Amino acid sequence: MTAAITVGLTGITKRYRGTTALDAVDLSFRPGITGLLGPNGAGKTTLLRIIATVLAPDAGEVRLLGRNPATPDDLADVRRRLGYQPQDMGFPRAFTGFGFVDYMAVLKEWTARAPRHDEVRRVLDLVDLGEVATKRVRALSGGQRRRVALAQAMLGDPELMLLDEPTTGVDPEQRVSLRQVLSRAGERSTVLLSTHQTEDVAALCDRVVVLDQGRVRFDGAVIDLVATAAGRVWLADAPDPAACASWRTGTGKHRNVGEAAPPGAEPTEPTLEDAYLLLLGDRALTTEVAA
Amino acid sequence: MKATWHADDALLARYVRGDAGSLDGASLEQHLTRCADCRARIATHVEAAPLAKVWSRVREEVQAPAPSLVERLLTRVGVPAPDALLVAVAPSLRASWLFGLAVTLGFVGLGAAYGGARGLTFFLLVAPLVPVAGVAFAYGPDVDPSYEVGVVVPYPAARLLLLRTAAVLATSLPLVLVAALLLPGMSWTAVTWLLPALAFTALVLAASTWTRPTFAAVSLGIAWACAVGAAALDRDPDSVLDPTRLLVYAATGIVATLVFRIRIHRLIPVGSLS
Repeated sequence: MTAAITVGLTGITKRYRGTTALDAVDLSFRPGITGLLGPNGAGKTTLLRIIATVLAPDAGEVRLLGRNPATPDDLADVRRRLGYQPQDMGFPRAFTGFGFVDYMAVLKEWTARAPRHDEVRRVLDLVDLGEVATKRVRALSGGQRRRVALAQAMLGDPELMLLDEPTTGVDPEQRVSLRQVLSRAGERSTVLLSTHQTEDVAALCDRVVVLDQGRVRFDGAVIDLVATAAGRVWLADAPDPAACASWRTGTGKHRNVGEAAPPGAEPTEPTLEDAYLLLLGDRALTTEVAA
Repeated sequence: MKATWHADDALLARYVRGDAGSLDGASLEQHLTRCADCRARIATHVEAAPLAKVWSRVREEVQAPAPSLVERLLTRVGVPAPDALLVAVAPSLRASWLFGLAVTLGFVGLGAAYGGARGLTFFLLVAPLVPVAGVAFAYGPDVDPSYEVGVVVPYPAARLLLLRTAAVLATSLPLVLVAALLLPGMSWTAVTWLLPALAFTALVLAASTWTRPTFAAVSLGIAWACAVGAAALDRDPDSVLDPTRLLVYAATGIVATLVFRIRIHRLIPVGSLS
C-alpha cells in the first residue's frame, strides 16, 4: 500500500524583489527521504521555508499533513508535527548545547521538566553530542553546531522533517553516523533534505528533486536520474574540450562527462554527480564551485 | 598489571546484592579496577533499568543548566517554570543588561538632580525610551539568532512577546522611577514620563505586526529625541509632558494597543526575514 501524501504543493510561486525564487512548482511527498539538489539560488531554501511554514507563498496551495497551514488552527497543529533545521542557524549567546535544545523543546510544548530533559538527552545522543552537551554552543565546532541544529529538529520524532544542508561542515565519520540516524527517521517520517552533496543523496534518498531557477528540472528515483547519464561518462587519457565537465582522477585518467565519446575513451559507470552535471550543464559547474 | 584470578559468579552476585561483606567486597573492588573480564561479567548481574535511571539522574545533574537569576525571580513571582525559561532568554532581561541600565539611570538621575535644565532634558530624553529599548531587545530576528527556527513552533509568538514585554516593564520601570526620585522638587515629571513610556511600548508592539521591533524602536527614539531637543531649544523641556501632549500619548497608547490586539496573529511577518 502506498503511504498517504504528507506534503502537497500546487502552483507554488514566490518572488523576492523582482526575482522569482519559485515558479509555479507542483510537488508532493510521502514518508521517506527525498533529496533536493540544485545550484545556489535554485529555490531549495525557499521551498523548504515554505513547507516549514516560515514563509507563505505568493501564489499556490500548500497542504501539510492533511492540513491547510494558511489557517491559524491548522498552522499550530502542523508546527507541532514538524521539525526544521534552517540553513544558517544562529544560537542565542550563553546557551550550552543542552540548554539550547531544552529551550527549543519548551517552545515545542514539552512543559514537564523530567520527560523534556529525557527527550533532549535522547536527541543529543542521536547526533553524538551527549559528551559535549555542557559546552557552550559558541565553543563547538561548525560541524557540532550543525548537529545541535539537527538535534532540535528531531525533538519528538516529527512526522515531517525539513533539513537544509544538515551535513555541511560535518566530518566524514559523523556524516556516516548521521546518515544512519536520518535513514531511520525516513522509515516513518517524510524527510526533505536540501544539499549540495550528491553523495548524501545517493546514499540516503529514494527520490531526488532537482531544482533550477525556481523550477523542477527532475523529479524521480535516484537510480532513474543516474540512468540518464548512462553512456555519457568516459575515462580517457586526455581531457575532452567538448565535455560538460572533465577532471583528472587519481588513476591518472580523465573523467569526461559529456555527450560524445572522446577518441580512445572507455565508457564508465555514471554516478549521481555525473547525471546532475549533465542535467544542469554549465550552471551546475559554476555554482557548485561558488558553493 | 594483569589479574591472576577471576571472581566467581556467586561472589559477583553477592556483591551486586550488597551481601559480599566488607573484606570480600573491598578485595573485589580492587580487583575490578584491574580486570576487564570481571567488569564485563559483573555488568550482567546488574539490572539495567535502575542503572539507566541512576545514569540519567547523573547526567541530569551534570548537563541541565542551572536557572538564571531572572528565571529564578520569575518563578518566585509565580510565572510557570517553562515560561520563565523562555522569557529569561531575552537579551534585555539578562543581568548584564539590567546592571548596565541601573548604572545609566544612576547617571541620568544625578544629572537631573544637579545638572539643571540640561539634566532634566537628559532625563526626559532617556526615561520613556528605556522600556522601548528593552522591548526591542527582547524579541525578534535582530536579537535572536535562532528566530527562524523559533517561529516554527506551536508556542504562540504573541504570548512570548507579551510575557517578555511584561518582564521588561517590571524590571525597567522601577529602575527609572528610582532615578526619577532624584529630580529636584518632586515635580510631576517624576511620574508623567510613564505615560509616553507606556504609549511608546504599545507603539513598538503594534509596529511589530508590520516590521522588526528594533526598527520601530529606533524610529521612535529618533522622533522622541527631536521632540525633546526642540523643547529644550525653546528652554522648556518639560513641555513634552504638558497636559495636551499627555492626552495625545494616552490616545496613541490606546489606539496602538487596539491595533496590536487586532493584528496579533501577524506578529513580525516572516516575510521581513532576509
